[in-house]
Amino acid sequence: MAPEGARQHANWSPYDNNGGTVLAVAGENYVICASDTRMSTGYSILTRNYEKVDQMSPKTLMASAGFMADAQTLKKTLKARCKQYEFQNKKPIGCVSFAQMLSNTLYYRRFFPYYAFNIVAGLDAEGKGAVFTYDAVGSYERTNYSCQGSGQALIMPVLDNQLKTVSPLVLPAVSSATPLSEAAAIELIKDCFATAAERDIYTGDRVELWIMNADGVRKEEMPLRLD
Amino acid sequence: MIPRRVAHNPIIGPGVVPRGVDAEYDAACARDDARDGPATTTHAPASGRAFTLDGKAREKAPTTRTQTPYVTGTSALGLKYGDGVLLACDTLACYGSTKRYKNVERVKKVNERCAIAFTGELSDFTYVCNLLEELTTEDFCEDDGMTRDAEEIYQYLTRVMYNRRNKFDPLWNSLVVAGLKTNGETFLGTVGMIGTHYEDDHVCAGFGNHIARPIFREFYKADMTEEQAVEVMRSALYACVMRDKQMMNKFQICKVTKDGVTISEPFAVPTEWGYEKFYNPTKFSETGW
Amino acid sequence: MNGPTLDFSFLDATARGSMASKHVDESLDAIDGNMHECNFKAPAVEDFEGFQREVINYVKPNHGTTTLAFIFEHGIVVAVDSRASQGPYISSQTVKKVIEINPFLLGTMAGGAADCQFWQRNLGIQCRLHELENGKRITVRAASKLLANTLYSYKGKGLSMGTMVAGWDLNGPGLYYVDSEGTRLKGQRFSVGSGSLFAYGVLDQGYKWDLTVEEACELGRRAIYHATFRDAFSGGTVSVYHVGANGWTKVTGDDVGELHFSYYPATPVDDVDAHCGGEGKKEAEARAATEASAMET
Repeated sequence: MAPEGARQHANWSPYDNNGGTVLAVAGENYVICASDTRMSTGYSILTRNYEKVDQMSPKTLMASAGFMADAQTLKKTLKARCKQYEFQNKKPIGCVSFAQMLSNTLYYRRFFPYYAFNIVAGLDAEGKGAVFTYDAVGSYERTNYSCQGSGQALIMPVLDNQLKTVSPLVLPAVSSATPLSEAAAIELIKDCFATAAERDIYTGDRVELWIMNADGVRKEEMPLRLD
Repeated sequence: MIPRRVAHNPIIGPGVVPRGVDAEYDAACARDDARDGPATTTHAPASGRAFTLDGKAREKAPTTRTQTPYVTGTSALGLKYGDGVLLACDTLACYGSTKRYKNVERVKKVNERCAIAFTGELSDFTYVCNLLEELTTEDFCEDDGMTRDAEEIYQYLTRVMYNRRNKFDPLWNSLVVAGLKTNGETFLGTVGMIGTHYEDDHVCAGFGNHIARPIFREFYKADMTEEQAVEVMRSALYACVMRDKQMMNKFQICKVTKDGVTISEPFAVPTEWGYEKFYNPTKFSETGW
Repeated sequence: MNGPTLDFSFLDATARGSMASKHVDESLDAIDGNMHECNFKAPAVEDFEGFQREVINYVKPNHGTTTLAFIFEHGIVVAVDSRASQGPYISSQTVKKVIEINPFLLGTMAGGAADCQFWQRNLGIQCRLHELENGKRITVRAASKLLANTLYSYKGKGLSMGTMVAGWDLNGPGLYYVDSEGTRLKGQRFSVGSGSLFAYGVLDQGYKWDLTVEEACELGRRAIYHATFRDAFSGGTVSVYHVGANGWTKVTGDDVGELHFSYYPATPVDDVDAHCGGEGKKEAEARAATEASAMET
């Protein structure tokens, strides 16, 4: 119990929601990680040019929505850890290992969480696309597609409709790879963001797509509504 | 170790009971002092007028801090143009809603390539300036010919602000950082109280986000000349002083280019109050008296 | 190491103790050293519990749902659903709620998903270390106690877990319920989570010691299915595991949507008599007639 009269941080909150939507889709031999570039607070747009996707290692992309100061700090910490991993193991960190590291990093702040909603996208050891989706305190799961942030509830049903395959938990196992080609997936993602920008005030301005396949990483962009 | 004896005074609150008040307690302390071996916590003899507290628990109790600003500056504006960056703010530091200190320079030159301006608590900004002075001194001592560019100052301030919010003891400021990067490009960014930060072609800290930012969005062009940029800045300052009651019509504009940092003499923007309605505000008002 | 050591700290730019450098060092604290040795960072607030409540509102962590496990003549059956929700939003339908600690030990997940994942992974580490130190597998009894002790040390800090530890050791099958309040119970039958009451209903009704493995798996599956049918926070797929003397195996994984049609197959209109009696047939015919006319308009 707090002493009588003591109030916890009376006039300020250590958290803010800066909005934004992040999304990732994995295919048989590619993965796409996308985000919008709007950054807001309350009803104000702070900047139209805040990119939420970062490359953490040659085979790993990470995107975060939520409170940007937490998200940026998290990414900086993880980038430093990736460097350490590379020095100690003489190879860059793979996306599956990175996914576990992010989970642990988030959980070590269980009692003062990072207010960040993360997606990790990458190519696994076999070159297959992988998407890992998280909650703020580190529970995570490997999936084929995921969307997080302010547009989650708008985009996720569309992705379910277009991409849902048999659950990986079903036995006997059935292949659950995304049935879409890379080009079709890019179009689907652009559609998703254009749609979310119509109905979500925190999504808009521009969408950037990072496309990773055996040839490397490339970027595509598309303008969104500015209002 | 026997816990320190604490008494509660209804006026001054808890306090340590001095030796010599309770003979039994003093004796227990003496026995404890004399004993070898690991210290143990024991309960002091029961007594109606005193209670004990675990000393360690008292140490752990979090410090409470003043978490409201006192002397504050309002908006700070920043604008990029062709080959430089402008920073602008008024020269006022308010005490609550009192316009208390009217000659405060709210822009600080960090080095030849960087200047910062602030909104929020004046004393916290002074602390930030001290930190930057220390950094500059360190750079000078290294004497390796390197100085921090605007982006490095910005990243540093980002960590300072965020680490303080992590301690639940924030610096009550939003900062605007303007200057040049090492490669000669212009730089403009802002850092908020809890570590929120971003770069843009034009930024505002404080209430200016609602007033000046739309003007910047309307008139900003990447290849503006200095004169055009100053003109945009003056119209933004005019809008701010008309609508922000914490703003004063006495401004400074700071310019950062490759030739260094210059902070202008204070100036006012022309305002017109000589309208008939201002002299006789109720004359044309149907419901006034 | 007895000679005088040289003090090289002057080479370290940050050792001069300046305030400005201190702020940079704080950023590095999170990176330096072994991640698993660092402590959980606690917020510097007076009202810790109030802060936790506030934060939970903000971050809305994944929450999970219906799980059960029981011992019978031929081992243990563990059955779970796969839904995770954040408030009313279903955040996943494919959560793996049986955590495979090692080939002879299973844990189940109900409550906070992150809490369960992290601490059961931690339990896996502790169990492996036990094996390396003692040269033999850890007993279910000891493993569950390790978890209970860990959780008890965080009691009151806001963890939320209801878990069952099931496995096979020298003493045969073992089943323990452990939760974040520090409770640890040995038992024959447990169900945990928001749908547990529905599952208990089916489970207690159908349980017998001498079930065959197939019957036991079907009982577990049916109990979870009925929980997903009545509990909004349960759903997805039903996974059934069997633990025997040679370790655990995953027996089945079935989508709830498909299970529904196997438990409640659609009845052809001609056979309505058999299910609903004579009146039912007339009603069905009447309904079919109305639907047909409705479709025409």
